[in-house]
Amino acid sequence: MTLLAVDGLEMRFGDRLIQSGISFKVEKGSIFAIMGGSGCGKSTLLKHLVGLLPPAAGTVKYDGVDFWAANDAERNQMRAGFGMLFQSAALWSSMTLLENVCLPLEQQGKLDEAQREARAREVLEWVALDKFAGFYPSDLSGGMKKRAGLARAIATEPPLLFLDEPSAGLDPISSKRLDDLVLDIRKRTGAAVVFVSHELPSLFAIADDGIFLDADSKTPIAHGSPAELRDHAGHPTVRAFLRREEPPAADPGSAASPVTPAPPATQTATP
Amino acid sequence: MPPTPMHFAALLPTRQVAFLGHVLLSAADGLAGRRRFRTKDLGRVMADCSARAVPIVTVVNVLVGAILAFVGAVQLVKFGAGIYVADLVGIAVAREMAAIITAVVMAGRTGAAFAAELATMQANEEVDALEVLGLDAVDFLVLPRVLALLLMMPLLYVYGCVTGLLGGMVVAAGMLDISATAYLDRTLVSLSYEHIGLGLAKSFVFGALIGLVGCYSGLYAQRNAAGVGVATTNAVVVSIVCIIVLDAVFAVCANALGI
Repeated sequence: MTLLAVDGLEMRFGDRLIQSGISFKVEKGSIFAIMGGSGCGKSTLLKHLVGLLPPAAGTVKYDGVDFWAANDAERNQMRAGFGMLFQSAALWSSMTLLENVCLPLEQQGKLDEAQREARAREVLEWVALDKFAGFYPSDLSGGMKKRAGLARAIATEPPLLFLDEPSAGLDPISSKRLDDLVLDIRKRTGAAVVFVSHELPSLFAIADDGIFLDADSKTPIAHGSPAELRDHAGHPTVRAFLRREEPPAADPGSAASPVTPAPPATQTATP
Repeated sequence: MPPTPMHFAALLPTRQVAFLGHVLLSAADGLAGRRRFRTKDLGRVMADCSARAVPIVTVVNVLVGAILAFVGAVQLVKFGAGIYVADLVGIAVAREMAAIITAVVMAGRTGAAFAAELATMQANEEVDALEVLGLDAVDFLVLPRVLALLLMMPLLYVYGCVTGLLGGMVVAAGMLDISATAYLDRTLVSLSYEHIGLGLAKSFVFGALIGLVGCYSGLYAQRNAAGVGVATTNAVVVSIVCIIVLDAVFAVCANALGI
């Protein structure tokens, strides 16, 4: 079942083209990686997917409904199905961790106050922050903020989770724990996860499928699971990136290889 | 070609007008029972722009009242009209000074704080996090701040009047040997409801202005440390200039209405 379908998306800041021709689908329960070097537009793509930035062209559909063709009420209804972990965690600094996790539940409006607090404590326990429920974000380390942000994102059990560089800036052990946590969340909630990363261990550990954005051509140049792309990508830049090698020297006489064809539907990642 | 309404419309600062319209629509929604902000946030902001502002509002208004009394006493005593220093201080404080001085203090204190807080939230993607949740930043962040200042500014104005009059009374007692009772009697004779009503109306308008300018500067700040600084400076400078301009408008209107 396709939860998210992106078709011909073009991203611009004013006249400046960021990326164009982005098309992919995310199936229920899959983990989809948005890969690419620094500055290629990965986080910008994520902001387009969650409705923070409107596309210059193309469509973003959730459950078959075009987000940008919908009215405000419909968009808010679609947003209720998102959970988002920002790169900086973006915890609300004037609220405690418990309040940070409770607010999405309050906005969802399904639980009373006591139930909300119980649920918030439960998800904080999942991310091993239950003892810090009364702390403010400024009292936490970077890794704890990321986990708290993840707790906030999953509190409402959204069918779609968006994670912006979840393990960036963390030590290898914390990074591994966060990856395990994402896999655990998928197992518990069945959510599909779209995540942005250029951390190779994380990409290989958790992603089932993905897309590789190229900063030079400003288009996606590969589509498939990170392991598959590392071994068989048609574009040498993608192979070099995923093997952590020097990229091949540009050959002015030849154009870059076209986008690696998307795997057939039967290969679309599902857990 | 004579100017058309479209020519004037093109001169409007569209983003600011859109922001004001957005706030008014959110306020209307709130009045219709669809409030989106947390009562706790409103309480926190109200405490910050009332009780915690009292010390500085006291100091500034007492001194302004005292300065007015001092200048007035020096001149009036030449004509043997020293007792009228109470009229001068009372009318000046109630009509003008308490509202303006309190507003300037609040612009530098609370308006700047609103701008810095919202600009930092913008830089830290906290505003984006609200939007992803389907919470409108104006509903959730701007409305409680503007509402808190709207409610608290008139109270601070009344308090500013009292402290300003006390400042004047102390100077009058010290320089002119006027008793507290005589000073208060004279003040009550000179003051009318129109003076206080005018001051109250100004304090409402200035409160809304400071809240709107502070929040606008913060929400539309650049997403970096420099942006926070620029937003804070803009909030203070624009608020103070607008306070003075609006006070001039009030003066003209009051004159036209014979107040």
